[in-house]
Amino acid sequence: MKLNKKLISSMLSVALIGALALSGCASQSSSSTSAASSSSSSSSSETQTTVDYPKNAMEFIAPSGAGGGWDLTIRTVAKVLQDTSLVTVPMPVTNNSGGGGGVNLAYMQTQEGSDKLISVYSPPILLINLNGSSEYSYKETTPIARLITDYGAFVVPKDSPYKSIADVMDALKKDPKSVKIGGGSSAGSMDHIQFLIVAKAAGVTDLKDIDYISFQDGTATAQILGGHVDLLTTGLGDVQSLIESGDLIALAQTASDRVGEGALAEIPTCKEQGIDVTFENWRGLFGAPGMPDYAVEFWRDTLKKMTETDEWNAERAKHGWADAYMDKEDFESFLAEKNEEYKGILAEIGLLAE
Amino acid sequence: MEVLSLFFDGLLTAIQPYHLLLITFGGVLGTIVGMLPGLGPATGVAVLLPITFSMSPTAALITMAGVYYGAMFGGSRSSILINTPGDGAALAATFDGYPMAMNGKAESALAISAIASFIGGLISVFFLIALATPVAKFALKFGPAEYFLLMVAALSMTASMSKGNMVKGFISTLFGLIISTVGIDAQSGIPRFTFGILELQTGIDFLVVIIGLYALGEVFKAFKAINEGKKVPQKKFGKIWITKEEWRKTWLPILRSTPLGFVVGALPGAGGTMASLMAYNNEKQFSKNPDDFGKGEIVGLAAPEAANNAASVGAFIPMLTLGIPGSGTTAVMMGALLMLGIQPGPLLFTQHPDVAWGLIASMVIGNFVLAVVNIPMAGLLVRVLAVDAKILYPIVLGLAFVGTYAISSSVVDFFILIIFGVLGYFMEKIKIPTAPMILAVIVGGTMEQSFRQATRISNGSLGIFVESPLALALIAITIISVVYPAIKASLAKRKAKTV
Repeated sequence: MKLNKKLISSMLSVALIGALALSGCASQSSSSTSAASSSSSSSSSETQTTVDYPKNAMEFIAPSGAGGGWDLTIRTVAKVLQDTSLVTVPMPVTNNSGGGGGVNLAYMQTQEGSDKLISVYSPPILLINLNGSSEYSYKETTPIARLITDYGAFVVPKDSPYKSIADVMDALKKDPKSVKIGGGSSAGSMDHIQFLIVAKAAGVTDLKDIDYISFQDGTATAQILGGHVDLLTTGLGDVQSLIESGDLIALAQTASDRVGEGALAEIPTCKEQGIDVTFENWRGLFGAPGMPDYAVEFWRDTLKKMTETDEWNAERAKHGWADAYMDKEDFESFLAEKNEEYKGILAEIGLLAE
Repeated sequence: MEVLSLFFDGLLTAIQPYHLLLITFGGVLGTIVGMLPGLGPATGVAVLLPITFSMSPTAALITMAGVYYGAMFGGSRSSILINTPGDGAALAATFDGYPMAMNGKAESALAISAIASFIGGLISVFFLIALATPVAKFALKFGPAEYFLLMVAALSMTASMSKGNMVKGFISTLFGLIISTVGIDAQSGIPRFTFGILELQTGIDFLVVIIGLYALGEVFKAFKAINEGKKVPQKKFGKIWITKEEWRKTWLPILRSTPLGFVVGALPGAGGTMASLMAYNNEKQFSKNPDDFGKGEIVGLAAPEAANNAASVGAFIPMLTLGIPGSGTTAVMMGALLMLGIQPGPLLFTQHPDVAWGLIASMVIGNFVLAVVNIPMAGLLVRVLAVDAKILYPIVLGLAFVGTYAISSSVVDFFILIIFGVLGYFMEKIKIPTAPMILAVIVGGTMEQSFRQATRISNGSLGIFVESPLALALIAITIISVVYPAIKASLAKRKAKTV
């Protein structure tokens, strides 16, 4: 009996220590998995230049919750890289949400010089800095490549009084408070801006008075379904299933010519409805500030190869993403150009930070 | 009876040996991550995510679902044995679970928590089959105003039911609300109370607060007890089961808490923590002996345990019927489904009936598997109480730090952990309850956002908070939760006088 008791208590302490180790691994899922895979990766990366990279697991980050556009993009990149064996180290994706991407931008500053951090961003990386919600700009990251572009959509509940985007704009011209606009990004960031750009082009003047309500963590869709806001400004593919089911009606998409398949292709563009404007939601990958050259070179090369694979093109078709590949240098000048353009828009609507 | 035949098709999918294996694997993994402070179902599911890419959508979903409700089974284990909730949803299990263990009734506590979890989970799956659409429609009635009022209701319930007096409960709540304002504000993007510390921009994670207040607070308390020679390890253990008397007391509360948990769980963003605390408060109100709550009342453990499992099933509703994640964990699952080329949403049941019904049937089987696995596992776990405090508490301390690091790999969190540990010790000393503070930390951020969203929609008018019948009902619940205990107490006093 006595022996038994000792045995049990020692078993227990072993179990608890095991648990300690287990919970330690969970955070750094790299540490345990990479040990196993580094042996296999070393053979594949011999083809690379002198530096044996990547040796350990990468840290892929979606600066939003799971399920959104950023999340889907970086997970798709990880999947294609894995399926095509272009990268053989683990590429676990973490979600570092908050502040419209600003929380992750702040986190990236703490990882300066990291060769394993890669994050996906789109226009918000410029907007959140210009509107003052983030003190860091894209210049405090290492842009690697632009990959795809997506478009915005404006949707209303099925029993909405607004039958076209022109109806919405007419109502706003009469009373800017009459249509409540909901979106998933924070105020002054993408969902907000893409609507205001269209409203401005439509001739709405009191842009500053339009109420935009930010719902984070994916609850914006529930709010438009419940009729708590009048119009949802969102990504074209984000509410596809609810458009197909007829629960939501899309009034307009922001591409210059209709994109997408099935129900998405039936959504008229703003241009078709007499508002001469487009909005592109480009997406690209960014490393931590001061990402080492060997890492930057590896990813430029790898991502270029990736965008040429059939697997990538199949995924793009599935999600309705247009190809927008751009290598580091072009991407950087594109960012500088867009930064000026958005700056002008924000200044016009009074949202530019001092 | 098309539903029945679809359900049986799902059952046939779920009992394939490969799927059975995955259900068990997911469930056991969930139980373990649930048990460890800091690791919850969301972490468990996220760790599995890369593995699921090579699975079929059905296999991926049933494995991840297993982790989710498995964690609801596991979370209360550490609540009962070491007074440290494994996750927010297991917080309410500390109120009476730990006192039960201290009264030498750990076996009953572990048994009833498994039984209540099983019943709550199983019944909810049938709710899911029968009521998914109406409940989803009901959940959509919650606009920002209703969310705000729901959170006010939950907070005032928790504050007013606190051990000791109500004022202390509200002090604790306010303190929690202050903590919840730390970080970048979503509506304006401006950092608040971060003192220039970058790590604080993401706010203070409620899990760090829980681990600090409970695990560390418990360790400090235990060290004092060791010095005074008070802490004696339990030597003998009985069978992990409950008595007839205990079953007689708990079956009704379990049945009452299940629908409550299910509906609250189905509200996007509300979740298991709110569900279990509301169930606990409910039963305390119903009870003839509300004073026994907090001292090892088995009903006070059974109710939240049933509710949090029911909530974990309810959380699937927004995802399955609308394609909206109802909780952090289902958000990760939705990501996995999108990757596998399945678009969750209103058409899921017609486009991929095999996936939807396979998942639902797997939850029925999973609950049976977990009940069978958990009772013998409890027999082993209960022996934690046999471990000398001098060995056990250093291990708890280690787990607390490792668990904290696991949340966001931030060293700053260690300092926050220690601050809350010390705070927990002193709050216990001056008898300020910690539960209201934790709930306030969890819901405070959303509550504030909801208020501002609501007033923006209403052009600044507060009328929006009394516009809908649902809002009025929530206000009524809030008032009752505060006033009723006081009236009940004064009535009891008057009665005592006249007798």
